[in-house]
Amino acid sequence: MTGFDTLTRHLMIGLVVIVAFAVLPVFIAQRYWLGEVVVFFIWAMVAMNWNLLMGHAGVFSLAQMLFFAVGAYGTAMVVTFTGLSVWAAIPIAAASSMVLALVVGLACLRLTGAYVALLTYAIAEMIHVLIITDTDCFTLIRNNCQQLFGGATGFSRFDDFGFRLLLKRDWMLGNYYTVLVAFGVTITAVVVIIHGRLGLAFRAIRDNVGYASSRGIDRKKYQVAAFAISALLTGLAGGVYAGHFRFAGPSLFEFSTLMFILAIVVVGGLGSTWGPLVGTGIMMIVVEVSKEMGDSRNLVLGLALVVFVVLLPKGLAQLTTGLPGLKGRRLLFARKTDHANTT
Amino acid sequence: MEFVIQIVMTGLTMGSMYALAAVGLSLIYGTLGMFNMAHGLFMTFGGYMAYSAATTFGIPLVLGIVVAMVAGAAIGMVTHLVIVRFMLGTPDFGTNVLVATAGLGIVIEDLLLKTYGGYPYPQPLTVDGFTRVAGVTLTYQAMIIFVVALVLIVGVAWLLKFTRFGRAIRATAMNREAAMLMGVKADTVYLQVMALAGMLAGVAGLMISTQATLSPQMGGDLLLKAFVICVVAGLGNVWGAGLCAFVLALLEAAIGFYVGVRFGFPAMLLLVIVVLIWRPQGLFGRERVVRL
Repeated sequence: MTGFDTLTRHLMIGLVVIVAFAVLPVFIAQRYWLGEVVVFFIWAMVAMNWNLLMGHAGVFSLAQMLFFAVGAYGTAMVVTFTGLSVWAAIPIAAASSMVLALVVGLACLRLTGAYVALLTYAIAEMIHVLIITDTDCFTLIRNNCQQLFGGATGFSRFDDFGFRLLLKRDWMLGNYYTVLVAFGVTITAVVVIIHGRLGLAFRAIRDNVGYASSRGIDRKKYQVAAFAISALLTGLAGGVYAGHFRFAGPSLFEFSTLMFILAIVVVGGLGSTWGPLVGTGIMMIVVEVSKEMGDSRNLVLGLALVVFVVLLPKGLAQLTTGLPGLKGRRLLFARKTDHANTT
Repeated sequence: MEFVIQIVMTGLTMGSMYALAAVGLSLIYGTLGMFNMAHGLFMTFGGYMAYSAATTFGIPLVLGIVVAMVAGAAIGMVTHLVIVRFMLGTPDFGTNVLVATAGLGIVIEDLLLKTYGGYPYPQPLTVDGFTRVAGVTLTYQAMIIFVVALVLIVGVAWLLKFTRFGRAIRATAMNREAAMLMGVKADTVYLQVMALAGMLAGVAGLMISTQATLSPQMGGDLLLKAFVICVVAGLGNVWGAGLCAFVLALLEAAIGFYVGVRFGFPAMLLLVIVVLIWRPQGLFGRERVVRL
């Protein structure tokens, strides 16, 4: 692989991944399996962005599903209330997600580490509670009360991408390639950021704020940028989710959904490039298998989180990068400085 | 006037339960420097164990409280021995342990769901009857909750302030290395703190289930409220947490009454957002100078 720099190499891996998924429908024709791959695309997009924010920029945000929900809700609301098509609604929703992220990011800047997790979780939970307890009707849709933010049931059965009319029986293929485009855009953007100057700045801040600042890297500017970029792409994922499933509801805010994505990122490997993709595949298979074994989805999720964080804190990506745990063991002796950082 | 008394009564009852939860959470943060995301499930676990003991053996409330305390302490110790012990001092402890305890919380919740089912049970360990004071209905149950919480919190305060055991905890919280050099066994202290916090959480769970019903999800809201209280008071500030629990419960009851019940909890969350942004060290916390 000599002759290529890291960015080119990873872009080529990305291209291979995208092409492989583009030809996949030739071999898999069943609508069910194509639907599963679409779900894979969506969760992988969310996980890659979370990994960018948490693993590379070092911002431990728990608002990831909030940004996803803003994308999904935004799309659903624009389609339901204004009658615009999904295609126009998704960019609007993704942009709103980014605007919200700028506000949340600016608020989080004064804090670090686990405090950011608390703040972002409090914001997401407040919005969740306000949405599900809302009972005032905004308009009537098909003679049913429709709350401004969907209330406890959310939005459903609005217009989707429109492939049902266009492609008739093969409508799933239309959805498949639409989501694949969004997936392709996301992984290309994330790879370019991680392996470009921006990603270098993110990791410099993550590893040593003081040193990075002294070399002219402004923590505020870069962490807000990380928030905004990651939210824009997560909002895009939320938008295509709403367009594909014709649904946006409070289940997106549920703690177990957040933990599912967190498990993906942790199992795949925080701070890696392709870990979230591997993690999404593994966790989807594991959850699918555990569903058949008497609905033990949450049990498996919880155990995966505990086992990986305790034994393999850098996820499966740790296995591919030489001797695992060597760096960690050396740091064990540096308890004093680390303890001071956490308290 | 009657409304005001009613709000104060509700606030004091809820505040007692919040205080039990928040003091334990704050104690863990202050000593181990970790956010215990499984704390809500410690409460739920305590409530369910008391329920099981009550339905199987028909024990009175006093014994039920003991069962909840033992169950909470046990799960706290198991958490330390199985998970936290291996993570102390590793890089990114603060965030990793948050993920691990959140995972443990999901596991406990799922196990409770599998054992007892998702259907909410009424807690049998309740006391019926009420008395009327100045035209306001006052249930015996609410009075018991207040007294039990007060006794436990004063007990913990006494433990921390006046015993050798408490001095070891405070010393470890202040400076772990110095405490170890003075012969304090830090690992034992951590185990004791987890047991103590779990004990308080177990009782809190029992008390809350007497006011509402038992369900595997009941700890979720409480955990968040306890976090809100700890953050507003200043993380790790045990006394502040106890006080803030009552103040915030009164505030929640007042907002719930005058503005609408649906705004009570969001108002608390808004408060924590404002506090975190403008005064991250909390109302009672001292500003900490962080070296980059």
